Amino acid sequence: MNQANHSRFPAWSPRALLRNRAFLTVAIVILVWVVAGFAKPGFGSYGHLRYLLELAAVIGLVAIGQTYVVIAGGIDLSVGAIVTVSAVGVPLVALSGDGSGTFAVLIILVAATSIGFLNGLGVAYLRIHPMIMTLAMATFLQGVLILIAGGTAISAQNPLLAWLGNARIIGIPAGVLLWAVVSGAALAVLHATPFGARLYALGANPLASALSGINVQATTMAVYAVSGLAAGLAGVLILGMNGQGYVGIGDPYLLASIAAVVLGGTSILGGSGSYAGTIPGAILLVTITALITVVNASAGWRSILFGSLILLLLLLSGRESQRR
Amino acid sequence: MTPQAIIKANGLSKSFFGNPVLQNVSIALEPGRIHALLGENGAGKSTLINLLSGALAPDGGEIEIDGRSHRRLTPSEARRAGIAVVQQELSLTSDLSIAENIGLGAYPRRFGLIDYKALARKAREVCDLVGLEENLSTPVGDLPLGRRQMVEIAKALFRKPRILVLDEPTSSLSAHEAQTLTRLLQRLRAEGTAILYISHRLNEVMRLCEHVTVLKDGKVTADRSLQGVDAAGLVRLMVGRDPGDLFPHWTPSPERQTIVEVTGFSSGLLRDIDLEIKRGEILGLGGLVGQGQEDLLLGLYGALPASARRAVFNNVAGLPSSVSRANALGLAYVPADRKREGLHLIHSIAWNMMLPDFGKARGLSRRDPAAERKLATELADRLSIKGDLTRQVQALSGGNQQKVALAKWMPADPPILLLNDPTRGVDVETKREIYVLLRRFAAQGKAIVLSSSDTPELVHLCDRVAVMREGGIAALLEREKISEEAIVAAAMGAEAAKVAA
Amino acid sequence: MSSMIRTGDDRLYWRVQGERNRGLMGLFAVVAAFLALYAYLFPGLLSVAGVSKFAQSWLPLALVAMAQAILMLTGGISLAIGATVSLGAVIAATTMSGYFGVAGGIVAVSASGLVIGALCGVIAIRLRLPAIIVTLAASFIIGGLALLILPRPGGAIPGWFSDLLAGNTPAALVLVFLVALLWKLYLATPLGLSLYAAGENPVGAYRAGVPVDAARIAAYAISGLLSTLAGLFIAAQTGSGDPVIGQAFTLNSIAAAVLGGVGFLGGRGTMRGAIAGSLLLSVMINVMFFLGFPPVAQYVAQGLIIIGAVALPQLTARFRRRP
Repeated sequence: MNQANHSRFPAWSPRALLRNRAFLTVAIVILVWVVAGFAKPGFGSYGHLRYLLELAAVIGLVAIGQTYVVIAGGIDLSVGAIVTVSAVGVPLVALSGDGSGTFAVLIILVAATSIGFLNGLGVAYLRIHPMIMTLAMATFLQGVLILIAGGTAISAQNPLLAWLGNARIIGIPAGVLLWAVVSGAALAVLHATPFGARLYALGANPLASALSGINVQATTMAVYAVSGLAAGLAGVLILGMNGQGYVGIGDPYLLASIAAVVLGGTSILGGSGSYAGTIPGAILLVTITALITVVNASAGWRSILFGSLILLLLLLSGRESQRR
Repeated sequence: MTPQAIIKANGLSKSFFGNPVLQNVSIALEPGRIHALLGENGAGKSTLINLLSGALAPDGGEIEIDGRSHRRLTPSEARRAGIAVVQQELSLTSDLSIAENIGLGAYPRRFGLIDYKALARKAREVCDLVGLEENLSTPVGDLPLGRRQMVEIAKALFRKPRILVLDEPTSSLSAHEAQTLTRLLQRLRAEGTAILYISHRLNEVMRLCEHVTVLKDGKVTADRSLQGVDAAGLVRLMVGRDPGDLFPHWTPSPERQTIVEVTGFSSGLLRDIDLEIKRGEILGLGGLVGQGQEDLLLGLYGALPASARRAVFNNVAGLPSSVSRANALGLAYVPADRKREGLHLIHSIAWNMMLPDFGKARGLSRRDPAAERKLATELADRLSIKGDLTRQVQALSGGNQQKVALAKWMPADPPILLLNDPTRGVDVETKREIYVLLRRFAAQGKAIVLSSSDTPELVHLCDRVAVMREGGIAALLEREKISEEAIVAAAMGAEAAKVAA
Repeated sequence: MSSMIRTGDDRLYWRVQGERNRGLMGLFAVVAAFLALYAYLFPGLLSVAGVSKFAQSWLPLALVAMAQAILMLTGGISLAIGATVSLGAVIAATTMSGYFGVAGGIVAVSASGLVIGALCGVIAIRLRLPAIIVTLAASFIIGGLALLILPRPGGAIPGWFSDLLAGNTPAALVLVFLVALLWKLYLATPLGLSLYAAGENPVGAYRAGVPVDAARIAAYAISGLLSTLAGLFIAAQTGSGDPVIGQAFTLNSIAAAVLGGVGFLGGRGTMRGAIAGSLLLSVMINVMFFLGFPPVAQYVAQGLIIIGAVALPQLTARFRRRP
């Protein structure tokens, strides 16, 4: 019996590691860091790497939701707008008597989650294609934001944000720490709970999932709500790091989050992948951006290099193997 | 006077994900002959057709056309050689008109543009052949299934084929349409077309065809003239044993308590049905394809909106409003199309087995990997699913996939099993295992509803058979009255049905 | 047995065209209603100048809506439309006042669109990479190219050419009809019509002898061409080139195509629908402008209208199904 058990779940082998996309992405990141560290003095310094991680933390947080949604077979094009809502919203809802700013942050996180939930409602019950639903939501939010905040930057000063943006705990920036903690939770939920398994089920075959007793609608709404929450959290972190929010601050994070998810080996078709790949994916993304900046090329060349590198990395590893 | 074969396949082999589907298969098609290709679902017929039409490349063997051999036939070579295939799954585009679908891939042109005048003329010619009276500009999406099948046939004829392959062309046709097709095939035969005809309707085969090739589990078990063979002989050739041997001995179960009762039940096609399902019995659902069998199962399962004047499930009043509610009431459903509806092909065997539990458990509770492995191993042992359970389900053969689709419900031990054609595309050995399993469930006092397109299955396995027709129950046959004749008669709406009911 | 040509068979082409209008009548009615409202609010619309101005605001959106729709018909999508529009604009602004003149500029713009579109298509289809990711990466590369050609707004379009296209003439309207006509012509070729089959049922189409890959790659090329032409028109409108002017068009192209009833999964929808969708979007923006909505409120309305347009058929279908 024990023998049979053994053969039915093959033991871990080094070869499995080589097929593991998360591991491969980590390997690429390390390789790039080592090469760049030798080629460019200062790149490998602790301060610079810490700075890269801080930048990656924001993308990584947004990409938690994006990873969840993509694994569940959808896509969320509203994360950029939600990041902005959060970064602009916290200063706006600052109340008297809420000295630490905790209350304002909580209100905004609830709002961000609700926006995601509305996305889920549209996708699950109105059966609107996720791309359209979230795109329309992004357009809607953009309008609301300009109405409320206008074109000016809004500063926020409260202790919580200041701490998030500047504090170091044993040398590690608070933002990176926040990312690490939330990532741990995100990975645990994805891989060690039935909810996580439902996401994989939904992305691979929604019909079979429904017939197996999975509540597809509830799961869909939950996953978009998580995406809203993650984007909201990222917005708070940006606000802390920047000190001010303005309309459009979240825009770059939409494409970055999708790129991080895909670079991390999660199939855009849904049903497979892991946040464990998205983490190095986000780091890889900021590393590429940093290297391109280092090259000291014009904006045009930087953009071309960035696009080409993403395409190249995809070609190397991200091919959608023949799925039928 | 033996005419030369137009196309000959020699020793073709093909496997998918390491499962051999065809092994050393040879077949020769001659002009002016209707050649039957028989075999159970999953025997490899469709794969053979795909090899002959160049849609797939063989792993071994060769295809010879007019004496020229091809190791790998491309679709365009096959087309140029005059091979046309009427596929089982329709290959039509619903937003295009009948004429545009018929001409697709072979449009007549003028100055680089589609010559709609010529297209209309030629399409009308082939439509007349198959008896399509519809306006040629009608979008195919507007047509009922049977008419679409005729468009598919017209599309094949449009290319003036020398070799016509028909994969179960009559499965969705009305009797009248089927007759038109028969006349058409006889005419094509007289004109010298080589025809490969695949059908499950043995009397059709006996009537039309001269020669037969039988496939069983990917191997040719017979390649002979049809002269002097009767229907029972054909079945023996296909199944490899007497039909009766396949089924376990039927013994009534002691428990006959009603567990599900619905009156005035409507769902999908179904209108106002009364039905009682008892513990310890297998209730068969028979009839032609698409008469409401699936709607009945899905309606009971809460997966399709349904209504009933009165409904009692497992002592609880009311219809289940959702699948999870149905699961909680003790229902489980195994769908017919396991790839689309039953399984998550890209996930592992063990993972698929845990799925209903993932749906049921608290979302943010902790999964227990050790317990999951233990349970998966137990289930695999119970249903004799061999090998590594971390393999993707798509790497399994049809039979083993079906076992996984069944196995995932075992942990919940549901008292009511709704099965939709569970042996479709399953090899003979697995079929037998499934039959034994079902009878054992019945003996344990479970209630089983078995919808099947395979009439012998209903005859040999079921305690009662409800024959469905046009969204109603045409006849409810008790054990002693169940026979293939009675089921077919009721399905066709013959007088005998009323007597039996 | 001789075949009888039945009534209507000889006019097959036109009857097929008629069938394609079905299901779009609702959309056409809404567009007509909005146009009427607009004409009521702004009677100046019903003059040569009014029509000209309106058509000029509509044309670029119509072009990108078509560019997106043709890809969606094949089951693809492009996130690079905006960048391609920008590229078209900067190429036009840098070539037209140069040695080869306007004609050379038009050739350069068209060729770049075709080549870039085809390249995206080859990468996405031949290498089996998901279209959304390929075009996402391509949007960076194409946007970078635009920045290389013209790092900051500049360049020039000959004045007479600007006046011809975007002056007080209804040239834009003529162009919309011309492009629609060319599309009809393309759809009447075997490759063009194959788009539908390649989008809805690629396996069946492949078996029927349709060059599925070629049809899809051609669709990407045409999509690129339409996008750069939209850029050319915008450059003519503004008289110069701007390397980021196209950004908003990616999302607007999707919105217009979706409003026009083009489906995401391929094979569903019509180009006339996409054009009507872009018209609706254009008119809505203009109407809101005239009603005195602040420009930003348009975003809010646009978001709501897109959701409404997509959700409404779902909801009505659901209510109809209920007994």
